[in-house]
Amino acid sequence: MISNDTALMAHLLRRAGFGASRDELERYLEMGYDGAVEALLNPSDPGNMPDDLIRRYHVEQSELRDLAGSAAYWMYRMISTSSPMEEKIALFYHSLFATGYAKLNQARCLLNQVDMFRRSGLESFEDLLLELSKDPAMILWLDNNENHGTAVNENYGRELLELFSMGIGNYTEDDVKECARAFTGWTLGNAEYMSIRAAKDSIWPYGRIAWHFEYRDEDHDDGEKTFLGETGRFNGEEIIAIIVKQESTARFLATRLFQFFAADEVTKAGEQVINEMMATYFSSGYQVRGMLRTLFHSDHFKSEDARFTRVKAPAEMVVGAIRMAGKYQNPVLGIEKVSNTMLYMGQGLLQPPSVEGWHEGLEWINSGALVERVNFAAKELSDVKSPGVRSIINRLESSSEGGVLDPADLADGCLDLLGPIQVSDETRSVLVNYAARNGDLDLNGHQPGDEAEQRVGNMLRLVAATKEYQLA
Amino acid sequence: MTTTNREKSLIVIQLTGGNDYLNTVVPYGDGHYYDNRSTVNIPQEKVIPIDGKVGFNPSMGPIKSLWDEGKVAVINGIGYQTPNRSHFRSMDIWHTAEPDAIGREGWLGRAIRDFDPQGENVLTGINFGRGLPRSLACQGVSVASVGDLATYGLFPDVQDEELRMFTLEAFSMMYGGAAGRDPVLNFLGQTGQDALQGADILRTAPAMYSSSVEYAPDSLSQNVKSISQVFHADLGARILYTTHASFDTHSGELQTHAKLWDEVSGAVGSLMDDLKEHDREKDAAILIFSEFGRRIKDNGSGSDHGSGGVAFLIGGAVDGGMYGEYPSLAEAEQLEGDLRSNNDFRSVYTDILEDWMGLDAAPIVNGQFEKLNLFRA
Amino acid sequence: MSTQTQSPSITLDYVKTIGIVNNGLNGRGFANPYDTAVDGDGRIYVLNRCDPARASAIRVGICTIDEEYLGEFGRGNGAGDGQFVWVVAMALAGDGRLFITDEYNHRVTIYNTSGAYLSHWGVPGSGDGELNGPAGIAIDSSGNVIVVDQHNARIQKFSADGKLIAIWGSFGSGEGQFNLPWGVAVDQHDNVYVCDWRNDRIQKFTNDGEFLAVFGESGHGEGQFQRPTSVAIDPEGFIYVADWGNERVQVLGPDGSFQLLLRGQATASKWAEDYFASNPEEKAERDVANLHPDLPAHLNTPYHISSQTEPFFWGPVSVSLDHQGRLYVAETNRHRFQVYQKR
Repeated sequence: MISNDTALMAHLLRRAGFGASRDELERYLEMGYDGAVEALLNPSDPGNMPDDLIRRYHVEQSELRDLAGSAAYWMYRMISTSSPMEEKIALFYHSLFATGYAKLNQARCLLNQVDMFRRSGLESFEDLLLELSKDPAMILWLDNNENHGTAVNENYGRELLELFSMGIGNYTEDDVKECARAFTGWTLGNAEYMSIRAAKDSIWPYGRIAWHFEYRDEDHDDGEKTFLGETGRFNGEEIIAIIVKQESTARFLATRLFQFFAADEVTKAGEQVINEMMATYFSSGYQVRGMLRTLFHSDHFKSEDARFTRVKAPAEMVVGAIRMAGKYQNPVLGIEKVSNTMLYMGQGLLQPPSVEGWHEGLEWINSGALVERVNFAAKELSDVKSPGVRSIINRLESSSEGGVLDPADLADGCLDLLGPIQVSDETRSVLVNYAARNGDLDLNGHQPGDEAEQRVGNMLRLVAATKEYQLA
Repeated sequence: MTTTNREKSLIVIQLTGGNDYLNTVVPYGDGHYYDNRSTVNIPQEKVIPIDGKVGFNPSMGPIKSLWDEGKVAVINGIGYQTPNRSHFRSMDIWHTAEPDAIGREGWLGRAIRDFDPQGENVLTGINFGRGLPRSLACQGVSVASVGDLATYGLFPDVQDEELRMFTLEAFSMMYGGAAGRDPVLNFLGQTGQDALQGADILRTAPAMYSSSVEYAPDSLSQNVKSISQVFHADLGARILYTTHASFDTHSGELQTHAKLWDEVSGAVGSLMDDLKEHDREKDAAILIFSEFGRRIKDNGSGSDHGSGGVAFLIGGAVDGGMYGEYPSLAEAEQLEGDLRSNNDFRSVYTDILEDWMGLDAAPIVNGQFEKLNLFRA
Repeated sequence: MSTQTQSPSITLDYVKTIGIVNNGLNGRGFANPYDTAVDGDGRIYVLNRCDPARASAIRVGICTIDEEYLGEFGRGNGAGDGQFVWVVAMALAGDGRLFITDEYNHRVTIYNTSGAYLSHWGVPGSGDGELNGPAGIAIDSSGNVIVVDQHNARIQKFSADGKLIAIWGSFGSGEGQFNLPWGVAVDQHDNVYVCDWRNDRIQKFTNDGEFLAVFGESGHGEGQFQRPTSVAIDPEGFIYVADWGNERVQVLGPDGSFQLLLRGQATASKWAEDYFASNPEEKAERDVANLHPDLPAHLNTPYHISSQTEPFFWGPVSVSLDHQGRLYVAETNRHRFQVYQKR
């Protein structure tokens, strides 16, 4: 029997990370649930693949000019990090504050933005919105470089309220205008040159030049503004201070965090957790870490009802399978082909379809995407040469009686070690029937890649192809 | 599912990277051309003349033959009002028919939804190549993306065919069981069945096709061959899409561009021969487009991103000829050093959607656009 | 903009920048250059590493100091004869043979300067004469070929016709040990200098591999290195180092003493000027832009500064010298090389 501790820890690691191999799971189990939550929420040295090695072998990931190489660079982080929450929170904001390559043609700056999400994503939401408003990729993405004291461009001001904080219906059109005025003069260095290069997708003559924030006082509208009922000569900082005080902001953020880290659909029990997260938001001084702590400690999150209630995003699908298989831990030729599979599944890193980010949940699933998802996970997890699968084989052998597994042992063992994954009775019976194809499996004296091992690989392939494996 | 035999299909060949209009349909009779293209030009004697003013790139022989048969419409100066010279953004604009805002839905995705609102035929739209161009993306629309027709489907890496069939059977049982209470698992089950069905049908296509036409070994010709196989199998595929790259010829253009057009012309020539052999020339139309044209002035080795470009519509039902004026190369007429577009791409879409596919174009292309009457009445 | 301390006995004047990013598979420009070599006629060979999108591009471009682009050669991407995957470095022998290392195919491929493929050496492995990720390469005055056998943490010396002569080195950080070594060069006396990349130092050996000296240590200061990738020694014994991780070039005296450092001062190449001529609106904005910006604190690293400061070296991966005292610094991330003249 799978202990509930193990199942719960695996659930936590699917949400605050990308799932976990049994070795990783056991390390967290040693900390206990509370200790694990704290370890995840307080990322230390991520121990990911070092930049110098990546840059030496992958010139495209040194320059970070093209999209495919830049997405692969981020995927390397995701698959090699020992602080998965850091990448998960960055992924969360990448969809929430969705900024895309298409308009910018500047992957390096998008990665700088992702760095900012890692650095500040678990801290104060007020500070984060301030950094976001100064983020050069965001500035160009939402035209704030065209937001001048004498000619207001409302794009950023509007999306800040509608998509990044309060949500529609909680402010007026006048608030949008006043908000936009407050952000006039918030631009990027060499804004005119950089925007013409972005608009033309110019890499000429010497590749891209990265961007940085610049405040132009002479272009800022310093006049009096009335925003959400308060009046003053507000600059962007004051506007953000007002935004984060709003209950609508707390509800917006708590709901989005809940949907990303707990469940695609918000049930009544979920509503209750969201309220608790909002309370934490205010009591902690807008700390995102505190809100997630509240979530992860809630009875609802820890209950069985919360498990397997999210469709895995393509990034979770790809990274989860690779981490489980323990592959690509050093720079390898062709890695961008691996990360491109996320794109084929509908989630190209650094290229969200619009400022609204990706539509998650069931929208990840269509027949083309499902074929990609199943084929990818099945291929990675059936590779008996990979260290992760080798470890699974060894665990199956040592947990069996005399090295022999009957069909149910094999199916259940694989379900356990890839998760544990809960499956329906129907799915399980198909798996057991499949496992019975060549009778009991004798792992005694198994050798790398032999027929006995390949049978485990075949079983893992089918488990990776279940409906249930599509869920986190 | 329903099969909709012998309905008209659209085949799209997307030229990614910005095809150089000036060196494709060459205005060799205009002195401005050689003034601006002092290095990166097609010499007059090499151009395949159409009339005394413009001619085709020397690599476009097969297309010239089709032109002579009246099957090629050349849409001059195609683009949109405020040109965007970024590959991604401009391609998005062409894909979503939405120049002013970021669109989420592809024009062909919408067309597929209109053809098949219930999603009964998972093969109504097919892309040949990995991933999904945004033109085909639309919420609730499933489009098959076929990297390789020979291995398309689930578990392509399983070499042992018996094991693969056994695994597919298990998959079918896991996804095909009776619907339960969980709507997410039910949806996954249905989608898995669709995927299996689509793959099963697609795999039958090559066996249902025979032809004496030999396609070239390059990737475009091979994708176009797959398109031909699926088209001729009458699986109800209405939109068949593929892309070719990279036309982003900033350097060494003459060599690269010639090779690319050799490939495009070869693929199109073979496909048209194939359609003729099967007496299906009037059932397919081929649209060839690129996200933008290139700068009028060359950069000494290639040409940079520009605006107004050229598109082609080719087929037995197409009313061949020149559509629209060739934009002027004179300095006073230029738009920031580029050709000024004078044909909106959404007009071409409107022709295709209404006169070829029988759909209401306006909601798909986000407005009313004057048609060019590209098809024979 | 060279920084100089005390009174160095060497001065380098900036001459020009050559290059432009090449976005295609052939034609003028470079794609992630990894090394340069100059022949007796002043023809400059540029080895393009090429990102995956351009993996099948032609790998060796040729141009002159007057920025005439003469063409390119190579047989594309792969493991076939004359093909490349991950090229690293290049050395030109006195007999006109051009040796090119490929750390993916684990071999040294030889072309002549007319672009004809001649042969290749090496099989993957760790035995004598076998290679695992060959990186730097140099040719001594006798025509011997010295190859940095990266993943085997050793140097192998071959005769001009490919016979193994000597092997030295092992993995580690002690004297004569290496951690992912990269560049190599010989001086007038045929001493061998190796960039001990992940140990952040240069080691000097006799031609037979006897340890002589070590220069540098980890750090950002003068005489300190971050992942040095390439080294060259001029006739007077000055040591030029591509201090890659610090995005700069340092020059040491024959005794290893710090002399000066270069941060880069690229200007528009002739090919860049051609681009601006057909894109005047971009040029107009460029002319009023500040290409030496001050950056926020979180971007204050050599890498980020270089990514924002176009004239600076970014990915200065190789230093080469010609017979006229010119220094060529190839920059992977900027697809160009800067030329300096020793006064």
